[in-house]
Order: sequence, then C-alpha cells, then structure tokens
Amino acid sequence: MTGRADDTWTVTVVVPEESSLDAAGETVELEVAEHETILAAARSAGVWLPADCQQGWCITCAARLVEGDVVHPDARRYYDGDREADFVLTCTAKPRADTTVVVDRYDDLLEHRAERGKPPGSAKIRG
Amino acid sequence: MSDGKEHDSGSVEPGDTSKRVGMEVIRERGVDPEELREKLVDAIGAEFTTYYYYTNLRMHLAGEEDYKEITEDARLEDRAHFELVVPRVYELEGSLPNDIREFADRASCPDAEVPTPMDDDGGFDTEDLEVEDILEVLLEAERCAIRTWSEICDMTRGADPRTYDMAQRILNEEIDHEAWFIELLSKERDDEINPAGHFARGEPGDAPYSTNNRFNDSA
Ligand code: FES
Repeated sequence: MTGRADDTWTVTVVVPEESSLDAAGETVELEVAEHETILAAARSAGVWLPADCQQGWCITCAARLVEGDVVHPDARRYYDGDREADFVLTCTAKPRADTTVVVDRYDDLLEHRAERGKPPGSAKIRG
Repeated sequence: MSDGKEHDSGSVEPGDTSKRVGMEVIRERGVDPEELREKLVDAIGAEFTTYYYYTNLRMHLAGEEDYKEITEDARLEDRAHFELVVPRVYELEGSLPNDIREFADRASCPDAEVPTPMDDDGGFDTEDLEVEDILEVLLEAERCAIRTWSEICDMTRGADPRTYDMAQRILNEEIDHEAWFIELLSKERDDEINPAGHFARGEPGDAPYSTNNRFNDSA
C-alpha cells in the first residue's frame, strides 16, 4: 500500500488486563500520520507505552500486530522472523493501514528471539 | 531502638549471608531488584560497547582535532559510567556475562558503527565517509543513553537511592554529550549555531558527575 506523505491511519492500541501499565485493560484509538511512530503518537495522546532506546534495538516497546500493516524503516534490529510472527516495535513502527496492536509484549518477543538465537539472546530470560 | 521504624526489614535473619538487606529494602519499596539489576547490565553493556565504538569513530575523525577531542571526552566518560555501575550489579547479586558477545547483544543501545561499509580488503571504505555522518552516529548514541538512564531514574526514584544517584549522575553527563554533538552537527552539516552552553572539561574524560567510584586513578 502506498500512501501520500500526509496519510493518517487509525491505530487501535490494546493494553492487556494483566499489564502493569497505567492503561491496563484499556483499548485506545489513535490517529497516526504515516511519518509518525505508534509510540510517539500514543505518548502524545497521553498513553504511556514502554520504551527505552527508541531506535528499534532493545525490544522494550514490543507489541503484537492483530490487524493491519506497519513498516519499520528506521529499526536497528528487526528480523524477518519478528515480522512473520507479527511482532511490532512501536518505537519505530509506522502504520500503512488501519491497524490494531496489543502492547506490552516484551517477554513474548524476548522468548521468540531467544528461541531463534537472535539478540538480545537467552541471557535475559530468568528462571 | 528499632521500635516504630517504618522500613525495618523483617525478612533477613541476623547473621544470614544468603540474603541482602540492600536488596530486600528495594523489594519492600515495590521494585524488583533482580529486574533492575538485569536492566543495569543492559545499560552498562551499552556504555561499554559505546566506549569501544567511539574509539573507532574517533579514529575516523582524522584531521578534525576539535571533534576528536570532544569524542574522546565522551568515550572516556562512557567508560567511567560502565565502571561506576559495575559494582552495583554485583551488590544486587548479579555478574557480567562470561561471554562478551552475550554482553554486547543485550546492550540497551545500538552499536555505534562507523557509518561506511567495509571495502574489498576488509578495511573501511572511507571514500564517501563524511564527518557529519559520524557526528550523527555520536548524537544518536547519546540520545539512546539519555533514554536508558531516564528509564532507570524512573524505575528507582523513591525506591533505590543508591542506583538512582548513579543513574542521575550518568544522565547529567549524557545530556552534556548530546548538547556537544548537537552543537557540532548543527555547525558541520547545517552551518547553524546551536551552542552547547558548556565550558571545557578538564582532563580528557573528566566525568565531573560520575568520577567518585572509578576502579583506579588511571581512568
Ligand atoms: S524502545 Fe527499544 S526497540 Fe523500541
């Protein structure tokens, strides 16, 4: 899908009940411009989503795509396997369609990466 | 004498060396010390990799003596940050990974590589290497560090004053570094004046906020 530079998409952010985020259990709809990241749009709208590097590297901001389409043109570490498993890094993800994501999926992506021998690796999985 | 003290820890028996009150008091205040410790390992992984990568970036600022000097300050201060926090990881019953690759992989910030490909002989292809591209790598590395230490400040505020103190002092220096590289990149790339607003450091890598806990005086 190719959009104009000023295209805006509706991004629905689902915060799971069990999340420790303030918005746990809420579903929020955001209007996100094509050049904007989901994280930036959410924080501008007062929804505090987790993040650290904000460069598509550390996976703190991981989410799961339920519906729609996003691109990660500036992510420093995003793998085909992440995309195939519908993982999204909200800090660098820009919508290309109306999209729904479930946020706070760091543990899931950490495990997914570790199982495939990808960084940050298994050293961070406790237990 | 302890009667009425709000935060006495009841969970460590006298003489028990299998637990640390220094960790339990953090837990009692709502922060998981193990989670914090692992975040610290990630954060100092980034300081350590940045120290390494800045060595190479500095080399490739050949002839740009003022840029080299400032990159050297940032490089040595990032090493000082690593050394400041390493003891805290052990206090929280952690350790550095045995394998340096594991350590680099889990660093919380991206590798700050020289922004040019390798040539056919395995050396850097410097033909199209621009000073402004190196300055941009330096700037973005500092920005990542600011975000990381801000996260750690958020996590420890009101619960772990010792880690908070370290994180906020490192954050002070990272914010200095961002200002330096904004000034230099603005001038180099855009011919714009955006002063950092700072006077010079003393010795290279002075680390004025984070020097109190260095490994030794050679730093
Ligand atoms: S915040 Fe680090 S990958 Fe998104």
